[in-house]
This record gives sequence, structure tokens and C-alpha cells, in this order.
Amino acid sequence: MNPKGGILSMNPKGQILTKQRLQGAGLDLALPYLMLAPAVLVVLCVLVYPFWDGLRASVQAYRYGTAVGWAGLDNYVRLWSDDQFLNALWVSIRFVFLAVAIETVLGFALALFCLREFKGIRLLRTVLIIPMVITPVVVAILFRLIYASDAGMITALSVAIGGGQVQILGDPVNAFIGLVVLDVWEWTPLMFLILLAGLQSLPQEPFEAARVDGAGAWRSFVDLTLPMMRPVLAIAIVLRTIDAFGTFDQVFVLTRGGPGEATKLVSIYGYDTAFKFQQTGYASAMFVTVGLIVLAMALTAVRLLQKEAQE
Amino acid sequence: MTDDKKSYLTTSRRSLLKATVLLALASTSIGTLIIPAPAKAAGKKVIIGAFADGGLTPFKQKIIPLAKEAGFDIDFLEDEYGVTLEKWFADAQNGAGQYDLYLLDDPWVPQFGAANVLEDLGAAGLGVDDKDWIGPLIDMGFWPPRSGPRVAAFKDATPTLICAPFIGDLQTLTYRNDVYTNGAPKTWDEVISKGKEGVASGKIKYPVVFRGVAGNSIVTSWYSIFLSFGGEFFDDKWNPTFNSEAGKAASDFFVGTMKQNASAGVVEFDSDQEGAAILGGDAGAIIQYSGNALKSDDPAQSKVVGKLDFGVVPKQVKAISQLGIFIAGVPKSAPNKANAIEFLKWYTSADTQAKVAEAGMIPVKRSAFGIAKPGNRLIPVALQQLDAGALPRPRMPEWAKVEELLGIELNKALQAGSGGGAAMDAAANEVKEYLAQAGYYQ
Repeated sequence: MNPKGGILSMNPKGQILTKQRLQGAGLDLALPYLMLAPAVLVVLCVLVYPFWDGLRASVQAYRYGTAVGWAGLDNYVRLWSDDQFLNALWVSIRFVFLAVAIETVLGFALALFCLREFKGIRLLRTVLIIPMVITPVVVAILFRLIYASDAGMITALSVAIGGGQVQILGDPVNAFIGLVVLDVWEWTPLMFLILLAGLQSLPQEPFEAARVDGAGAWRSFVDLTLPMMRPVLAIAIVLRTIDAFGTFDQVFVLTRGGPGEATKLVSIYGYDTAFKFQQTGYASAMFVTVGLIVLAMALTAVRLLQKEAQE
Repeated sequence: MTDDKKSYLTTSRRSLLKATVLLALASTSIGTLIIPAPAKAAGKKVIIGAFADGGLTPFKQKIIPLAKEAGFDIDFLEDEYGVTLEKWFADAQNGAGQYDLYLLDDPWVPQFGAANVLEDLGAAGLGVDDKDWIGPLIDMGFWPPRSGPRVAAFKDATPTLICAPFIGDLQTLTYRNDVYTNGAPKTWDEVISKGKEGVASGKIKYPVVFRGVAGNSIVTSWYSIFLSFGGEFFDDKWNPTFNSEAGKAASDFFVGTMKQNASAGVVEFDSDQEGAAILGGDAGAIIQYSGNALKSDDPAQSKVVGKLDFGVVPKQVKAISQLGIFIAGVPKSAPNKANAIEFLKWYTSADTQAKVAEAGMIPVKRSAFGIAKPGNRLIPVALQQLDAGALPRPRMPEWAKVEELLGIELNKALQAGSGGGAAMDAAANEVKEYLAQAGYYQ
């Protein structure tokens, strides 16, 4: 092989050598693009095109499922006078805030506990992530069986100890809390995994120095662990927040947004609007708006992180 | 290691590309060899889409084998009720061609009709003028409707038969004959008072059961009570009238008296739970479609075999029930359109309809009600109810949204156990606002 990487030729005149070099150079240039092409194609098809199509639909008027004309920003304006949308947005925000906050605290506590090495810790770490790998629809069915007031597990336990039927899915407050509990059960393991990885990557020297200086566990946690874990925590919270805004399967199976509109997240309202009521343009405007809100939140979090890192 | 050995061991770009192409070719060839080609259809293929419902059990068990004998190769695809409307509408509108026949819930007909995605079955020779059709049932297959108010966009359009009635389902009363010992209760007051006696004697846990889940479920349970109180949903200009005095009285009765005499968890009850309550022996009476009623005499599904009878719905003013028929439409994109239409002609013929009734399904042709041995006890009662009065839900493409708005308000009132009248007013305002935005009052 020659030093520049071209292919050596046996031809003493050099013509074939040039051709081969040209072929080799062309392939060198094309190969990365060829290798990337399938991934780019997939991204274009499943991400860019649907987003563009959604954006286009959001500025069109639909009738009986068919676009009938340009609507400009009407769909976006209409959102802010739609009580059902505003309610769904408020329910979504409350749900995301509560669920992510609890998941973060619980996930962090579990990660700190599982950081230590003791007998059975590997098994415990594996068991803790099981909820996360179960299909969301299956989780929702399981919780429906737990919550059902007539034959559910909680009612059965209540009856066994002399109580009566426990109303969870039929009561607005309980149904909302029930949904948060389901989400916490399923997604705390994700926070636990991310935060455990973060804790394991922290340098040990500052902790050893603190111990030598007589700092207790609480002081080390407040002054060292928390500040050093802040970027990991922020990323975990941002990821989980984006994901929680898109929660759909569990609500669809567990409550379908009820009772009343107590658990009707934007995802459910948007789905109904698009597919059940065939208001494609309006539903698209809804999803674009929510997408922008989530994007703004994520960007703010990232900016704050960058600012902190610079300081 | 020498350069020669290196070049031998290192993967070159050319060999990588070659390997990729070869791998793709090999996997395609192996796939072609291993996966067998679909067997050639044994008859005229028809792909039927349906939502899961007990009312279709006799069709699956007895009519599909008959269809096979008649030369059809039926592919029966079932889905949950909650996802079928959107799935089929997308299939029809995008011309995906996944189905030859949809077994629709009748309120969906206007939505498909307005989108102009179903075949004209009248033009295909389905016998629009056949006097054997049960009038109110065949009327439900037309878009725009042959009678009653029409949405503005279709005011002058010619009614076209886009769907054929498939199962003549409608709500009837199922009651415990050991509680209501004098036969079917005639009024709602009787349902409650006799039911309470049944509870006191320990025969049942509560007099009635119904669906309380917001949306289609609660509106389905409320509708027959609303009709029996003399309520009317819209006037002839699509102004909501369900918040009339009769409508409010029906709703107060529904969220108050009915709730007090049902299971404590009725707010979260859907068809599964209400079915379990009546078939499990907990409830004294229920207004329901044929799906659960057909299970009454099956010891595998009912704990009270022999104790459940059927009757016309109780009345407050009138004994009118809600029609909720299965109705078949052929999408314009159907891959086996001719077969689907031929199947419908076969299925709705007088001979097959007689066999449908023998199988235990409620037929859609009047002659079939006259057969010597109907497949179950519900069929003659269904005819009695049809003759006493049964009405469809309003024929409008926006019904799904209207039902949603009404269902949410009713569900909220049901949670509270009061305020049915106020719920009607709130829902009427929301419906009016929605329909105005949809151009109904221009």
C-alpha cells in the first residue's frame, strides 16, 4: 500500500494506477454518505416528513376529515378559547410536575442506596428496573385490575379488613393520583438507572478529603454529591419531562381521560380530536403548540445548565 | 504482520459493499424460500372488520361456516370498540384497502357518508325498495338521511344507501324473574321499588346497573331513559333540545335515583362491568344491547341461568328504546369489492336472514322474525320493542364530539350524584358552541 492510501498498480505506465486512484477516491468520498443514507432516509421519513406534514396541517381547515382550505393561524388562536384544551394542558402540567418530582426523589434515593456494594445488590438493581421494561399497555391493565372498585385488589384488601369498596377510577382526585402512582411505579427505574450511573462516575477524592476533614454523610451529600450531580439530575429531569408529556398508552387503557376530564392529558384530547372527531388541522395545531412548550422548557433547562457550567 | 497479511485481514470498502449487497440478496432469497406464499383462497375472499362484541358471537360461530358453504372465504378481523372508528376511517380515507367490509356502529354512518368513502350499495343492487327491510333499520343506511334534519352541506343531496343493516340490535330490558315476579316492570318506578324488595330479600345486591364511564358509554345508558321520559335531542334546525324539562327530569333520575340504586362503583362501569353485574347475579335489571343478553342462558357465562328474562324498556312517558345496530359498509378502496357486495346480498337475502335468526342474531328483515324456532328468547322481544318504538341517535357527522361533550357533563353529575339538569344545560351550551363553529347555524 502507498503512504496516501491509494491502491498500488502493477502497470508500469501508470494509466491503470490513475484510474484506480480515482475510483478509490470516489469511493472514499461516497462511502460515508452511503453508510449514512439509510439512517438519514429513516429520519426523513419518520421524523422530518411527519413534522412538516403536521405543521402544514395545522394551518389548514378540515371538514369531514379532508383539508378544505387555508386556515392561517385560526387553529392556534382557537386553542386558547377551548376550555377542553386548556383543561387538558393544565392536567398534563400537573401530571408531569408531580410524577417527575416524585420519580426524581425516589430514583435518587434508590440510586444512593444501591451505590453501596453488599450481598444481593446486583439482583436488587435488576429487580428495580423490571417495571420499566414492561409494555405500558400491560402496566395499565395491571393497574386497572388493582384499582377496579368492584373486583380490584385494593377493594379486595379493603373488604378483607372490614372496609368497603375503594373508589379510585370513579373519583376525579383518586383517579389522577392513581395515574401518577402508575407512572411513578413504571418510570422511577429510569431515573434510578441514570442517577446511579451518574453517582458511580463521581470522583472519589473529594469525598475522601471530606471524610478526613470530619464531614458526615449528610454534609457530604449536601455539599458534594448534590452539586456534582446537578448536571446529571438536570438531564434526567429534562428527558423524563419530555417523555411524560407524551404519556398516552397508560391513560388510554386505564381511564380514557375520565372520570369527567380528570385525567385527560393533551395527548388523549389531541388523539380524540384528530382521529375520533376528524379535526386534523386543529389537533395538529394542538400538538405543535405543546411541542413548542416542551421544547422551550428543555431549552431553558439546557441554557441554565450551560450557564452554571460557565460560572 | 506484513502488509500483504494486513490487506488480507482488513475489510476493504469494496468487499464491505459487496457483502452488504450479498447479505440483502441472501436474506430476501431465504425469506422467499422459507415463508410460504399465502394459500390460494378457497372461495370469494371477503375481509370483514368488526369491533369485539358479544352480539357477533353467533355470526362467528354459525354464519361464517354457512358463508363458507355458500362459496365465501371470510377473513374476520376484530378490534376493540374504542379504536375501530379511527382505524377504519383512516383506512377508508387513505385508500389503504385493508378491509372489504366494515361492521360499523350506526352513529358512524354519517361520518363515513360525509367523507364519501363508502360504495353506493343501492346502485350495486342491494334492493333499496325491498319491503322486507325493517323500515327504521334500512333508513339508518342512507346518507344523507331520507327523513329528519340534514346538515347544511348535504341539504340538497340525494340520499344514497351506503350501508346495509347487519344485526338489528336495539336496547331491551333484561330483568331477574325471581325479583320482578309479575313479569317485565312497566315503569322505572316499578324497576326501582321492586328492585329494592329484591335487595331486602337478599336475592340481588342492587336494583339496577348501567355504564357510567364518560363518552359513548354513559350516553348509551342514559339515552333510553331520556327517550322514555319523552326527551328529544335536537329540533329540526340542530338546536339542542335535550335540556328540555323532560331531558332534565330524565337526567336527574339517572344521576340521582339510578345511581343510588346501583353499585357504588358505577361511575367507572363500562359494558364489561355492567355485564358482570347482571350475569353474576348482583343486579336486578339492566337496559342493554344483545351482546350480554345473549349470554344469559349460557352456564359458562351466567351465574343466573333461568333467572333472566327480557322485556320492552320501562316507560315514564313512552317505552322507546335506542337503536344501536351493526351496519355494513363497503369502502371504495376495498380490494375485493365485488365479493363484499355479493356477500351482503347473500347475507341480507330472506333465506339467510332466517338462518341468522335461527343462529340467535337479531335479523334485519321482518320475515325472519316469523320463523318457527328463533335461536334465542331475545328475538321476539326485539320485535316487540321495534313495534313499541326504537329511535336511532341523531344522524350527524359530528355525533362523536356531541356524545363526548354530553358524556363528560353527565359523568361529572353522576360522580356528584345530583345536578343532572344542570349538566344538560352545560352540555347544551357546549354542543351549540361546537356546532356553531362547525357551521351548523349559518
